[in-house]
Amino acid sequence: MVEAYRPSSLEEALKIRADKGALPFAGGTDLMVKYRYESGAVPEYPAPVIFLTHLEEIRKIYSQDGELHLGAGTSLAELMSHSEVPELLKEAVRTIAAPGLRNTATLAGNICNASPAADGVCALYALDSRVKLSSPRSSRELAIYEFITGPGKTELREDELLTEIIIPRDRSTTRLFRKVGTRKANALSKLSIAAAARLSGERVDEVRIALGAVAPTVLRSVELEKQIQGLSRAELSERLEHFVQSYEAMVQPIDDQRSTAVYRKKVAVNLLRQFLTSIAA
Amino acid sequence: MKAQISTPIRRVDAKDKTSGAARYLADMSFEGMLYAKAVRSERPRAKILRIEVPRLPEGYTYVDASDIPAGGKNKIEMIKDDWPVFADKEVRFVGETLALIVGPDRGMLNRLCREVKVEYQDLEPALTIDEAESLKGGAIHGTDNLYADYNLRKGDPEEAFKKADRIIEDEISTGYQEHIYMEPQGVVARPEADGKLGVYFSGQCPFYVRHAVAGAMGVDEEMVRVQQAVTGGAFGGKEHYPDVISTSLAVAARKVGRPVGYFFDRVEDISYTPKRHPSRTTFRTAVDERGNVLAMDIDVKLNAGAYESCSMVVLQRAIFSVNSVYDIQNVKIRGRAFATNNVPSDAYRGFGAPQGLFAMEVHMSHLARTLGLSDLKYKSRHLIKKGGLTVTNGRIHEEVKLPEMIERIDEMSDYRRKVKEFKKGSWRGVGFSMFNHGSGFTGNGEQEIIRGVVKMRKRSDGLVDLLVSNVEMGQGLQTTFRKIAAMVLDLPVDQVVYNDPNTDLVPDSGPTCASRSIAIVGYLVQEAAKKLKARWGEEGEVLVEHRYAHPPRLHWDQEKLDGDAYPSYGWGINVIEVEVDPLTYEVETKGIWAIHDVGVAIDEKVVEGQVDGGIIQALGYGSLEKLEVKDGRFQQRTMADYTIPTSMDFPRIKSALVDNPYEYGPFGAKGAGELVFDGAAAAFADAVQMAIDRDISRIPVTPEYIMEVYEND
Ligand SMILES: Cc1cc2nc3c(=O)[nH]c(=O)nc-3n(C[C@H](O)[C@H](O)[C@H](O)COP(=O)(O)OP(=O)(O)OC[C@H]3O[C@@H](n4cnc5c(N)ncnc54)[C@H](O)[C@@H]3O)c2cc1C
Repeated sequence: MVEAYRPSSLEEALKIRADKGALPFAGGTDLMVKYRYESGAVPEYPAPVIFLTHLEEIRKIYSQDGELHLGAGTSLAELMSHSEVPELLKEAVRTIAAPGLRNTATLAGNICNASPAADGVCALYALDSRVKLSSPRSSRELAIYEFITGPGKTELREDELLTEIIIPRDRSTTRLFRKVGTRKANALSKLSIAAAARLSGERVDEVRIALGAVAPTVLRSVELEKQIQGLSRAELSERLEHFVQSYEAMVQPIDDQRSTAVYRKKVAVNLLRQFLTSIAA
Repeated sequence: MKAQISTPIRRVDAKDKTSGAARYLADMSFEGMLYAKAVRSERPRAKILRIEVPRLPEGYTYVDASDIPAGGKNKIEMIKDDWPVFADKEVRFVGETLALIVGPDRGMLNRLCREVKVEYQDLEPALTIDEAESLKGGAIHGTDNLYADYNLRKGDPEEAFKKADRIIEDEISTGYQEHIYMEPQGVVARPEADGKLGVYFSGQCPFYVRHAVAGAMGVDEEMVRVQQAVTGGAFGGKEHYPDVISTSLAVAARKVGRPVGYFFDRVEDISYTPKRHPSRTTFRTAVDERGNVLAMDIDVKLNAGAYESCSMVVLQRAIFSVNSVYDIQNVKIRGRAFATNNVPSDAYRGFGAPQGLFAMEVHMSHLARTLGLSDLKYKSRHLIKKGGLTVTNGRIHEEVKLPEMIERIDEMSDYRRKVKEFKKGSWRGVGFSMFNHGSGFTGNGEQEIIRGVVKMRKRSDGLVDLLVSNVEMGQGLQTTFRKIAAMVLDLPVDQVVYNDPNTDLVPDSGPTCASRSIAIVGYLVQEAAKKLKARWGEEGEVLVEHRYAHPPRLHWDQEKLDGDAYPSYGWGINVIEVEVDPLTYEVETKGIWAIHDVGVAIDEKVVEGQVDGGIIQALGYGSLEKLEVKDGRFQQRTMADYTIPTSMDFPRIKSALVDNPYEYGPFGAKGAGELVFDGAAAAFADAVQMAIDRDISRIPVTPEYIMEVYEND
């Protein structure tokens, strides 16, 4: 049997989380697969579970100080139909599974599951997102890349819940999200790219590039982005292959049941080059 | 003109299946039923040294080879009987059944199975065709690892090779394919009140199950009663494997004296049940100065897995199909089915033909590419005609309508214009494939092995019982059989009663496979109905039967594999248009066109259903369904990783039929179920070849593979 809690407030949820070491259960679309048992058998969870997505406190989407706050309980479908959610994120979310799943799955779950192939997470890296983590006594914020530390690993403490995802306004003028999946729907990513750039006139003011499923976590290099920022489009054009090669050196994918390292690397680099070319002169 | 019988009616099973009213095996209740779970081999090849069974809680029972009743045997009688019910001395593949644990709670069964400790002495496994051929780790089967080794000859290949202007070599290979039938495998075995053993199952061949269970239990076949349950899909995957489950369950049910059910989990089903045979075919082809084929020397190798099952017959169909629709004057063919330490390969829609046809069709396109000739013109020069000689030196007795079909599909798809417009290597391509498929058992199997019988009974209430052992498994038989009988008897379709077969109540009209249900059994239904019609005026109950007789003029020598391999053929052409993404090598299919000659469609909608399903399944085989083996384990074991097509992956299919009535088919019908699978993979590969201007030589044509051939050029 699975012990399950359905708290009536966030406060109660945080208390149960802290007291029982309960496992947060949002849409359950990762959890139910992870702890699935063979047909006809009751699943076995390592800890009691705590249902979250009904809690009003974490079902809100609102803007504050120019930043968008997404409550951890909002479903992917809700987020896709919200006018203030950045296009780049919507495009990524649209490639997740199929409508039925998006009606119940959450972005918080996508983050906390910490898969390097998570499509929503890839876009969140490129959007400079942060997560808000709350415990019964305090709360803190971490950048998404600080929060996720490895495949399936995060900085989430045993008494914490992820309550909000915070996304600064995206002022990019050029964007690319591309998922290369195992098929056209209900597919997991072989690799993905989420990229955004702000051009003003002939200059590249800002660039943010995230690559999914080519390293233990989503890959983003603020270093390289800094080198690109401030260049004129012509300068970028001249140094394009240099940047492509620098990224290529960082891309360290693996062979697995979905694809090969060689393919992932080659295609990630192709897509990256396509994006850089689109912002270069 | 379209035959009257072709006009679609509403499928008899449509409402129950779409509303959820249909009761599949797992929906049925059996009082006091316990569940079974297999203790499976963890090793691809090993000697079993010791098995340590945990102390079982009350109500749980361990069942293994020692429980097989006296008089029975630890062998599953299929076409061969090399597959044991329970492995007791050695294991030959990962997932082989060592024992069953039986009890009330499935969670507990899972735990108990994991606690069984098996001590193995590992042996070196042979997993690939090459490893099997080089006898890695010693022979698994016999002294040479060959379940079958055949040689065919037509014309005088040695002489023809001497005249060659040029000899072109080629190697084509195909991968595994998993069936992903609607519901996973399931069987319930129950000791019945009348002393018989009841077997309820999802599957294709009730009399195969009866035979296998009776053999293992050492009882007369009449002491086993097999009832087919509503079956959502099978595709060949439930042709023999239900025998494997039923035999062990029968032993368990006898031991515990209660019904015992086993309902496979999907992951278990993908991991351990049979798959389509992977193949590798090499060609040496002699051409003259105009490029025309003078002779071919063909070598077909199948990876048949750990037990033989039906591999010998699959191999026969593979080599009989390996010249496809072409009349090559001089041919030498060798075919071998290799024993390896993988899950046994077994029946899958097409039964070896898709491998043979794919190899030949792709080879023909390679020849055209190598010689710089137009693909369609080149293929057309070699087409077989009525009276033409097959690779088994039999004749094509029917009219071959391919020339007419080529024109029709060209109109539908604009193929010839597109070939001109899309330049080779322009990332756009259009592919063309032709194929045929013999209906029914190979050679004189229908006559010598099956001898199918159909019975029909006019009841006193005026309804007609159609008594056959063939099953509805999604292909529409409930509708088409009734239509045939009703049309002959001039009755409304709903006055013909055709229940899911029960071996106590129906005669053995053979298994549901090999595109034989309409072509062979449908004809028996028609002839039985004619007999019944002649006696319609008689009072009370009237029972008639009709038995298969081989059509005259056909000859077959099973020893030499010589003569008419099949009584009739279905024919088809597929055209597929694609665009390949130059950055990701992903393929977008832009159009799919198909035309088939199935004689006469018993119901156009049912045939359309077969066409749509068959082509999409073949495109999955050809492009998506990668199934790799590592250390004897399949690497793609879930439906997330083993990717069959979704409705988003391919566009709607435009298909047409040509009528070409077959004398010995019901209302002129021939088989359609497998034919519709046979061509799409080759057309897809051909389209990709054109798009990237490189030879494609294996399936699935994944983006990874496209990148490889593109980059390594
Ligand atoms: C058929 C199928 C297709 C899929 N396709 C895709 C795809 O295309 N792309 C993709 O990226 N993913 C895909 N997934 C994975 C999954 O659906 C997503 O990762 C989804 O976003 C998970 O959200 P959830 O709410 O269901 O998470 P859950 O399963 O509820 O939770 C996931 C993890 O996050 C933790 N968690 C959840 N909420 C919180 C919280 N508020 N605080 C702390 N921890 C929390 C849970 O404890 C768990 O460890 C697919 C899954 C399935 C079953």
